[in-house]
Amino acid sequence: MTMNSVVETDFPETFVEEMEKLQEALPRRIDANPKNVEKGLAKLVLTLVELIRKLLEKQAMRRIEAGSLSDEQIERVGETLMKLETKIHELKEVFGLKDEELNINLGPLGDLM
Amino acid sequence: MKLYLYGIIDSSSMIRESICGLEGSRVYNIPYCDIGAVVSEINQPIQGVSERVVLEHEAVAEKLMEKFTVLPFRLLTILDGRENVLSMMDDYYGDFRDNLDRLRGKVEFGIKVVWSADKVKRRIINAYRTKNQNVHLSDDSVERRFVREKFEEHKIDSAFREKADGYINAMDVFLGKFATAKKLETLRTENLLLSAVYLVTKDNQDNFREAFEHVRTARKDLKYLVSGPWPPYHFVILRRKSQPLRNSGQTAIFDKAIVRPTLVEADRA
Repeated sequence: MTMNSVVETDFPETFVEEMEKLQEALPRRIDANPKNVEKGLAKLVLTLVELIRKLLEKQAMRRIEAGSLSDEQIERVGETLMKLETKIHELKEVFGLKDEELNINLGPLGDLM
Repeated sequence: MKLYLYGIIDSSSMIRESICGLEGSRVYNIPYCDIGAVVSEINQPIQGVSERVVLEHEAVAEKLMEKFTVLPFRLLTILDGRENVLSMMDDYYGDFRDNLDRLRGKVEFGIKVVWSADKVKRRIINAYRTKNQNVHLSDDSVERRFVREKFEEHKIDSAFREKADGYINAMDVFLGKFATAKKLETLRTENLLLSAVYLVTKDNQDNFREAFEHVRTARKDLKYLVSGPWPPYHFVILRRKSQPLRNSGQTAIFDKAIVRPTLVEADRA
């Protein structure tokens, strides 16, 4: 028995490539076992911390755009965001995690990373 | 005996036409009230989703679609015996009935559009830098420079998304006209500008395709993929989240079903 539905495109390779990227971006399971439980948990926690950091950054940018922060406040925001970014980077190194491993799908908002 | 489920149809009658399912087995209907679950028997476990399984499952769903309204099950929905199928039908009868009525005479089309994100971003960055070339940063502190860089990234990202929305809205003006429902996803990857499914009445299929050709001709710098007509995989709406099926490893029965939150609340009450 054959299918009647058709898939038409002049660029099949392009779409296969994009679909593969999507597959890679799907949330991975936390692989927790006695040997790597620490890394598994670190991955989960850091993913959430990274999500919060990005939300904070977005909120700060919106407020700067709206002109609702004073120079002093902008300076403090910069310092906080810089320190957060550095700390997360250090923790990623400690647990041997790469950026793409800290990814979750945020539904309509897209992927975190 | 294990039963492989293809879909729910709006008929409790016997399927007269001979349809071959997975492993060449006979496809038949298990009636429940005025609807039916279309199944075939399987003798050995199926080892994951393969291309063969996808094509055979889809071919059955499409064959059914010619004569019935179909709610296609997700791949590899397998239940242990007729009793379990009837029990599942009993659990979900109201949902099945509502969806069959809503989706009667309708099919689904998929549209994907790819743009060159790099080129678009480069243009946005150039425009941004030209506009802000007179802004000097030499007296800024490290913190302020950091914020400025982040702000620049934020502006570029916003402009990129705005551009994407503009393209999609323009396309949707044509495509949406012939659809009764749609789901649009923007920028699932940076290059995948649009990933959309449209629910179209069978009478409007040609109009929809014509509208798509119009879009394709109007924007030749984009890459397009159109697929369909499919059974309405993305437009099944459940009143409550589907539960794992009894005697089955299956965790949900429809692949892309939406749960209506308001009705979930009503169910709880």
